[in-house]
Amino acid sequence: MKTHYLQFTHIFGSALLLSLSVQSAENWTRYDAPPTGSKVTIEGTSNFPGHERWTLEGLIIGGYVEMDPTFDSAPKPGNVSARALVTIPVRSLKSGKAPMDSVMQQTMKQTDHPRIQYRLTEMLLKEAPKSPEGPYQFDTKGELTVAGVTNKISMPVSMERIDKTKLKFSGSTPIKMTDYGVTPPSPLGLGLFIKTGNEVKIIFEWITVQRAETAK
Amino acid sequence: MKHRMKKEENITEQNRRDFLKGGSLATLMMLMGGVSIRAEDKPKTEEGGTNFKTTGAPLNCAVIGCGTWGRELLKELARLPNAPVLAICDNYEPFLRRAKDSAPKAETFTDYLKLLEKKEVQGVFVATPSHLHKDIVIAALQAGKHVYCEAPMATTVEDARAIAQAAQAAVKLHFQPGQQLRSDPQRHALLGFVRTGSLGRTALARAQWHKKQSWRRTSSNPERERELNWRLLKATSPGLIGEIGLHLLDMASWFINAQPVSVTGCGTIIQWNDGRDVPDTIQAVVEYPGGIKWSYDCTLVNSFDAEYEMYYGSDAALMIRDNKAWMFKEVDAPQLGWEIYARKDSFYKERGIALDANATKLKAIGKKATEAAGPEEESPLHYALEAFISNSTATGAAVEDFASLYDVSDAKALATYLAGIKKTMTPCAGYKEGFEAAVTAIKANESILKGQKVTFQKEWFEIG
Repeated sequence: MKTHYLQFTHIFGSALLLSLSVQSAENWTRYDAPPTGSKVTIEGTSNFPGHERWTLEGLIIGGYVEMDPTFDSAPKPGNVSARALVTIPVRSLKSGKAPMDSVMQQTMKQTDHPRIQYRLTEMLLKEAPKSPEGPYQFDTKGELTVAGVTNKISMPVSMERIDKTKLKFSGSTPIKMTDYGVTPPSPLGLGLFIKTGNEVKIIFEWITVQRAETAK
Repeated sequence: MKHRMKKEENITEQNRRDFLKGGSLATLMMLMGGVSIRAEDKPKTEEGGTNFKTTGAPLNCAVIGCGTWGRELLKELARLPNAPVLAICDNYEPFLRRAKDSAPKAETFTDYLKLLEKKEVQGVFVATPSHLHKDIVIAALQAGKHVYCEAPMATTVEDARAIAQAAQAAVKLHFQPGQQLRSDPQRHALLGFVRTGSLGRTALARAQWHKKQSWRRTSSNPERERELNWRLLKATSPGLIGEIGLHLLDMASWFINAQPVSVTGCGTIIQWNDGRDVPDTIQAVVEYPGGIKWSYDCTLVNSFDAEYEMYYGSDAALMIRDNKAWMFKEVDAPQLGWEIYARKDSFYKERGIALDANATKLKAIGKKATEAAGPEEESPLHYALEAFISNSTATGAAVEDFASLYDVSDAKALATYLAGIKKTMTPCAGYKEGFEAAVTAIKANESILKGQKVTFQKEWFEIG
């Protein structure tokens, strides 16, 4: 399902966030993304000789996750009360080649839609972890917005407790560019029109740190 | 005089190198023999199947110092689609007038501090005489401008260190010294060959720059003539090794992958005894760890064989001229594998194997290696300026992106993020490489002037 990022959605989203933040102050434990330690990789394919597989890499993933503070005291398979909002600036994704970055930013309509966003809507613990540090294996559902188009996606996510206040989430999911209104780019190189594959894979490692005022 | 590689021939007298470039180079190389090595091709047009621009965001530029080299920068900037020049500055009116040829819309300034007040200017090129760089570069960084500082960064270690410290502190800005070869794709391809051991064990290296010219500028105004000829006096000039040799000396340190241990030099005024005290002919031997020595000679007295570099290893020798390189393999050298794709050339006394670094890519698109065996299309300066524009805008964008998610006053986190971003940027020299090259050249010049060996001290290379 595709939903265009309309002003209404934006206002509604802001109101929802405000309501969530009020709730979080009361009950939930909030973890914020620090500026370092996270990494997102987007892997794709092309017919360009020597670049049959290409990658974009980003080093900042902003946002937060809020969880029921009791979720890991006696974890059981099933729904976990959690919500998250994840933000990645499109320009922060780098290929290592400035012209390719420029193509990617145009492809993803960066000027109009400077951020990739993900909103977690459901989180299901698949089985109890073997230790309190994890890893916790979840099946998640959420809404991914790329180039201004939002789709519902499902993906497995792993969570590890790095220390008392720090969590690391990792996972990956394939997506099709055309599902987000993005035409696979076909720039010219070496006299050839390069064709890029429609399917790409998003791989992430996201670090979050417990906000001081919600620390136990 | 600023850099003096390929572009300089356009602005100076005809010499042997021009003759070589004019069509005989390939023939000469065929006679001498070697293995041709190229960087991979880059896209040749800006638009592709889905109509993309591969040029990045524009950077509003200004050039401070509009002498011969400053005007060369302006000509090259005029060729870039995303480097509008908004302002130019020089304290000599005729230079400003000439500079307007390449930047007709630029506002003119005689005071660089006034130029730096112009908020629209995002990036500044400093092409004044080398001994005047420090104050201008530091003021530009403090004004929030990205800075391209011509090489050498300075003529004293203290000035070079002050510039490096200012660049280091300006976390949100891109600083790039004018070591343009560090941006040349061909050099990066060669670096890969050298660093992966294709030459075997490095034995020695050498380079030369020969050009018969006075290095003197003339003016009807004696005071102006004195200013113009800052390169001819020890008090203001880093000498031939600093103004010319620095680039190849930097290449030697880069290829050998080490800091020099010592330098022994000498210099003499042979031909141009016109009141100058800077030698017109110099020789220097720079020693690297493991006993590897790089020798260099540079003269304004004779033009024979122009400019080239050689690296000698136990398996092969590498010769670099202009933007091309050749590999001369020893008979007992192991097969590297890629030779089977390479062009076979006849040599003066040997027979060798020509190689294109992108042979497999060319094959994949149905081209023969020989069809693409020419030099890179653009000069190292062009690539360096492209890198500066691209990296400056990328740095600015990265700071904005960071600020959109986090507290930008967290300088340590911002610096960590930008350090990661820098790894993805277009290759270029940074303040560290600029500082180290300047220190090496300044100390080499001291050795040349004294005729004594100078042993490099570790603390000389510390930025602090």
